[in-house]
Amino acid sequence: MNNTRATVRKVFREVFDDPTIELRDDMTADHIDGWDSMMHINLIIALERALGIKFATAEISRMKEPGENVGSLVALIEAKVCKG
Amino acid sequence: MMTDDQQRNEFLETYFQADASVRQPKFVGLLQSLKSLSDVQGEDAAATWAKRAVSPVLDYSSLMKLRRFLMPKKVVGGAGNALRLAILGGPTTTQLRQFIEVFLAAEGMSAEIYEGDYGLFRQEILAPGSGLDEFQPQVIFLATGARDVSRMPSIEMGEEAVSELASAELDDWSLLWETANAKWNATVILNNFEIAPGSVMGHYRLRYPAAREHYLERLNKMMADRAAAYVVLHDLQGLAAEAGARSWFDPRFYLEFKMPCGAECLGAYAHSVFSLLRAVVGKSKKVLVLDLDNTLWGGVVADLGAGGIRLGQGSGEGEAFLAFQNYVKELQRRGVLLAVCSKNDDANAREPFEKRPDMILKLNDVSCFVANWENKADNLRSIADRLELKLDAFVFVDDNPAERAIVRQFAPEVAVPDMPEDAAGYVHALALHRYFETVAFTREDTARSRYYSENAQRKEMASRSTDLNSFLASLGMRMKVDTVNELNIERVTQLVNKSNQFNLTTRRYTLAQMREISRSPEWLTLTFSLKDNLGDNGLIGVILAHKREGSMAVDTWVMSCRVLQRGVEHFARNELVELARKRGCHSVLGTYIPTPKNGMVKDHFARLGFVQTGADGDCTLWSLQVDPLLKPLDHFIVREVTNE
Repeated sequence: MNNTRATVRKVFREVFDDPTIELRDDMTADHIDGWDSMMHINLIIALERALGIKFATAEISRMKEPGENVGSLVALIEAKVCKG
Repeated sequence: MMTDDQQRNEFLETYFQADASVRQPKFVGLLQSLKSLSDVQGEDAAATWAKRAVSPVLDYSSLMKLRRFLMPKKVVGGAGNALRLAILGGPTTTQLRQFIEVFLAAEGMSAEIYEGDYGLFRQEILAPGSGLDEFQPQVIFLATGARDVSRMPSIEMGEEAVSELASAELDDWSLLWETANAKWNATVILNNFEIAPGSVMGHYRLRYPAAREHYLERLNKMMADRAAAYVVLHDLQGLAAEAGARSWFDPRFYLEFKMPCGAECLGAYAHSVFSLLRAVVGKSKKVLVLDLDNTLWGGVVADLGAGGIRLGQGSGEGEAFLAFQNYVKELQRRGVLLAVCSKNDDANAREPFEKRPDMILKLNDVSCFVANWENKADNLRSIADRLELKLDAFVFVDDNPAERAIVRQFAPEVAVPDMPEDAAGYVHALALHRYFETVAFTREDTARSRYYSENAQRKEMASRSTDLNSFLASLGMRMKVDTVNELNIERVTQLVNKSNQFNLTTRRYTLAQMREISRSPEWLTLTFSLKDNLGDNGLIGVILAHKREGSMAVDTWVMSCRVLQRGVEHFARNELVELARKRGCHSVLGTYIPTPKNGMVKDHFARLGFVQTGADGDCTLWSLQVDPLLKPLDHFIVREVTNE
């Protein structure tokens, strides 16, 4: 697991208060306990701070669309971190 | 080998003694400790520690994580006394409400919170039978902002049209606070309007009334002028400026989630509202205790002498200490009591005050001066005793992290802000905690520290007098008795809401409720203002009573603790009995409702000759027959003016 992925996992574990969470690319909100719209906001804010990135409004909107999953989220973050 | 328990406790203790900069990297460890504590000893044990970790400088995610340990129950603390707070948003208020709960819990304040739906604040207040109506709020926080302004000027409008528009806009807002007050007697905390950067008119906006920024500033000014006394204004615009416009106006979270400001500003926003709530219930801090060396001046006076310490014009460092002294002096003039707590020989500690003309703080600004070699936690306790105030009203400022750690550990009720190494940051480091917020400013506030230093003199006289009676006689006390009226109502409300110790029932009233009481013929209101040879004590006592079936029932009896043991209670009882008699009552009824703080008045009614007639749970009920043979109680106070 690369650094970014490890940080993302750490953020997930902290935000959802579950130290056993393992991330798979095909995961969605349905797979994680408590991943509702409020926790989604907390997740975005925590990811931005932990990784020093900023999501664009359009990217935040897209996260809620069908077909989006942990894989696409990590890919988006990795692209931002590389550019950074 | 240390056990897990010992390791965890050691970690927690070190964490809480450390400053913010040291704590930050240990935050993950803190969460782990809290979690294991919660598993082993239960949620309450974890909550006790989590409270102490809450700070307005924490980031969004850290506050959310701490919240888990603070919010196991819906209502924090005793539900019976909980403040009924409604939060009504223009934008969504979920996270704001969550953080306000965090700060309330950390302060040990209990509240029952009603949260309106996003954008429906007008309907909640104006529509009959709304959820808010059912909730019957005591305090309403209108979490609105510039986006909730209904009328914006168009760019071609002239001064007159803009002025009319602004006036119509303000009419809408005053309808809200007037309705809230008329329906529920509620105190309304109202945001002003925050002004986003990016002016279409550029700097010309300053001279152009129809410019958005110009117009919002006008609304803010008009709101401050027109807001009724029961409206507590919250300076959202000031807060946005303080946080920095670039982080405050991060539009992404509004666009996606209708959040009121950038995520990392929400903690500061919630803390700012919390500090007003703390002021509304009279729990703002009252005393600022200051170290001397490297806190009020640069260097150690015992080594350098009064001439050698770094203070005053000519060096940046010296001016930084001057600026801090200036800030402290202004707080003192506003009614915050100052005390000194320094590790020094007394003579050395006083030398700069006596010899340096550039010292802004003078010895007579300080209500209690302690310089010795005892530990500072013990010294703070003795200062609290002398000022007759509780430690939870204290703030302790010291540049030395070791001293701060000792006070945090051994006097945990005291608020101890982290201070930076650079004196230039002192003002900000103290100000960011908003310890001394106030919702009113009365003449009594400016004179408060004088009362306390005069009281110290009185204590000295008492110790010299051989018996109490000759001491009391020597004071030459004169009492002015009055009703609650427009001239004293702000001070009365403040006293009723702030008094915790000499308070028989701890009933709190908003200014509007107090006004209603003062005008009602059913109610008897009494205020007491005391002068003596050493000075004016100001308004020091309030009794509110109402007539019930031929009896005068005491609803509220509060007195300032600084006039205890001076016969004021006897004087007040005589007045009360006399007025009850005049109104045709055959008895005076009293109730004592115990709280953790008012144990000192447990036997108040017994001491005044009342007979206990019953008990209702923890409360005790008392009665005093008003018959012609009832003798007045002895005292040494001359009645000055009669109004009734």
